[in-house]
Amino acid sequence: MNTLQFLADGFSIAFQWQNILFALVGVIIGTAVGVLPGIGPMSGVALLIPVTATITSGMPTDAAAASSIILLAGVYYGAMYGGSTTSILLNTPGESASVVTTLDGYQMAKQGRAGAALAIAAIGSFVAGIISLIGLVLLAEPLSNIAIKFGPAEYFSLMLLGLAAVSGLAGKSMTKALLMTTLGLMLGTIGIDAVSGIARFTYNQPVLFSGLEFLTIAVGLFALGEVFKTVLERDHEDGTIAKINRILPTKQDMKDSTVPIVRGSLLGFFIGVLPGAGATLASFFSYMTEKKFSKNPDSFGKGNIAGVAGPESANNAASGGAMIPLLTLGIPGSGTTAILMGALIMYNIQPGPLLFDEHPDIAWGLIASMFIGNLMLLVLNMPLVRVFAKVIQTPKKYLLPIIIAISFFGVYAVQYTTFDLYLLLGCGVLGYLLSKNDFPVAPLVLALVLGPMIENNMRRALTISNGEFSIFFTKPLSLLFIIIAAAWLLIPLLLKMKGKSVVIEDES
Amino acid sequence: MWKKVTTVAATSLLTLSLVACSSQNDTPKKTSSTYPEKNITIVAPSGAGGGWDLTARAISKTMSETKLIDKSITVENKPGGGGAVYMADFATKEVKNDYALLVKSPPILINHNKAEGNSPYGYKDTKPLAQLTRDYGAIVVKADSKFKTLKDVLEAIKADPKAVTLAGGSAPGSMDHLIGVLPAHKYGIDPKTVKYVSYDGGGEAIAALLGGNADVIATDASAIGSYMKSGDVRVLAVSSSERLGGELTEVPTFKEEGIDAEFTIWRGLFGPKDMSDSAFNYWNEKLKKMVETDEWKAELTKNGWESEYRNSKDFTTYLEEQDKVIVELLTALGMQK
Repeated sequence: MNTLQFLADGFSIAFQWQNILFALVGVIIGTAVGVLPGIGPMSGVALLIPVTATITSGMPTDAAAASSIILLAGVYYGAMYGGSTTSILLNTPGESASVVTTLDGYQMAKQGRAGAALAIAAIGSFVAGIISLIGLVLLAEPLSNIAIKFGPAEYFSLMLLGLAAVSGLAGKSMTKALLMTTLGLMLGTIGIDAVSGIARFTYNQPVLFSGLEFLTIAVGLFALGEVFKTVLERDHEDGTIAKINRILPTKQDMKDSTVPIVRGSLLGFFIGVLPGAGATLASFFSYMTEKKFSKNPDSFGKGNIAGVAGPESANNAASGGAMIPLLTLGIPGSGTTAILMGALIMYNIQPGPLLFDEHPDIAWGLIASMFIGNLMLLVLNMPLVRVFAKVIQTPKKYLLPIIIAISFFGVYAVQYTTFDLYLLLGCGVLGYLLSKNDFPVAPLVLALVLGPMIENNMRRALTISNGEFSIFFTKPLSLLFIIIAAAWLLIPLLLKMKGKSVVIEDES
Repeated sequence: MWKKVTTVAATSLLTLSLVACSSQNDTPKKTSSTYPEKNITIVAPSGAGGGWDLTARAISKTMSETKLIDKSITVENKPGGGGAVYMADFATKEVKNDYALLVKSPPILINHNKAEGNSPYGYKDTKPLAQLTRDYGAIVVKADSKFKTLKDVLEAIKADPKAVTLAGGSAPGSMDHLIGVLPAHKYGIDPKTVKYVSYDGGGEAIAALLGGNADVIATDASAIGSYMKSGDVRVLAVSSSERLGGELTEVPTFKEEGIDAEFTIWRGLFGPKDMSDSAFNYWNEKLKKMVETDEWKAELTKNGWESEYRNSKDFTTYLEEQDKVIVELLTALGMQK
């Protein structure tokens, strides 16, 4: 069967009524998550895993996994659409990938062009979504064919690269990011070792035998941590919301945006494919590129529509591109894709080169659903943008209890142990303390997911090489990954020494 | 408008989660004959596609197709440690849960008797319900491998143990490892020198073989038939006493290759140790009926398993015997506890 045939089969899955519904719910929640400052795509997806697990519990495993992942991915790319709304109307980014959109978006809103800015953001996101999906369709098969040749050494180095990239970019201090990575790796060793069956750090407590549940940790650190932060710091960000007049952009707006949208989409896609470089980085790069190519760079920051069109396309394209390493290599390049991967593993679907052979319905169903989801988002975001703008005003007194309730009920519904509830609470407090002190949490979660896989592959590689560590450097692909990994850590360091600041807080 | 939506959504979510919670809480210890009152979970303590997984799915499918059991049976995969990770949960957390069953095979004995990575829990921490099938081990190489016979592999290992990578879907010291080193041991090779790489389940091991990351794998004979049919792999030998049917009729046994060894992989269903009598009797009766159905026989043929049914009592006796066999085997290999 060729790619088109697979894609057609994927559409037949995505067009099942429940999957259309799941995609719709996913993108609506995603847009809301993007709009609401405080909940990023990572906490949004983590919160919804137990909910979807409960809803799909009656379905056969494969169908349940397909439906769940369709919904969760919808939240992920839906948030990229929604994020722009708050940036433009409130000058507060709804999630980190829309930070640069505030620069020109809010200026446009002040000039009474909020509608045009929102519309261009939606159109740009849609075009980018479609471009990145086409890229995904074209690259998925060839990449997974290459990936099946990957041995343990290649996997080890590639995962190391993912960790290095996230640690090198996350947060203000690389030291803190690396500390978090190490903490995550250490937490990942708890439980009965999957290779030898030896219990490690379990202190004979049965609850620890299967290790710490990643879902509990992720929900605790992100969702509850954010709740504690909002409660304790009481940040009243009740800025005035700009009025939306006319929604459709003018012909001139469209003309000015076409090139930035295409450029942003391509740039975003390729940045998204790189493990570790997420949507935030893509939007920054796109903004810088647009400024560089612009005829009058001075107009940037004063309401230039290219400054909205480029970055908003880039962040959405990046979220599509990030699905590639996840699906074909089984390696999450960012916090959110790590959580998506955790969700797949919960259904015992191992993302990776075998995914397209063993579960084509899930892989292609997801890809097809993303086409449908992007179309839904375009429809939702153009006429309904006023409704979503209202979401910003959801009072915290309603929002926070809902998040707390979903966190606790959700974790309990999946885990059925009170231990996990205490762990959840502990992680919530920890998440608050960590982010208050600028310790990025994403590297911890990524390391927790990747840690056991890194360890197993390292042990396999070393068995094959009879204990010679040189196997990681003599295999060409493995060496390449390690060099790139080192570069992710060294380049920001060198830039910092030169006095350039490279602060990117990536929650995507 | 939005407020209303969120309120409704939140309420329904709460209800949903409450339903999920409450259904879990009213667990066992009711000796009423209303079992089963809710859906049943059969756990395959490995990744998808392995022998345990296929057995669990075959039981679930047959029970629902023949309408022997009305409640739906979900199969869950809990990989790790060659089954040892979930075994610990099963023997501790689920010890009274009538709705959690487990599919297992010789590793339940091996893991409890081996020295390295010993699992503190054995078959005595469960309630054996029935043995259902019999299967054998197979030594497999890629179709274009330079190894044509089992002897070729053994000679290569004998010449340089570091040059040949053996892989399998279970933990070191567990079943696939045993199947792999058993012929080596009989051939006069120190089993400890054989290089064994463990993967999470037979599916991953086959992928490693096809991807060129393992030279030879040890796996279940039943699982390899389809790969042999597609021409991707060559099966060098099987661990049965006589030749097998189906795709593997051309494959010699260990004995035919001059290796005096055999290994049987039985698979059975286990309940929790403190299973209630009503649930225990229910399963004994249903499983006895199930093995007689045409649907079950069709599953056996499809998966290349041989039928071997033992009820709970016979199965327990059989386990006692097998436990001694495994200890002997591990002792011979120098891997016993």
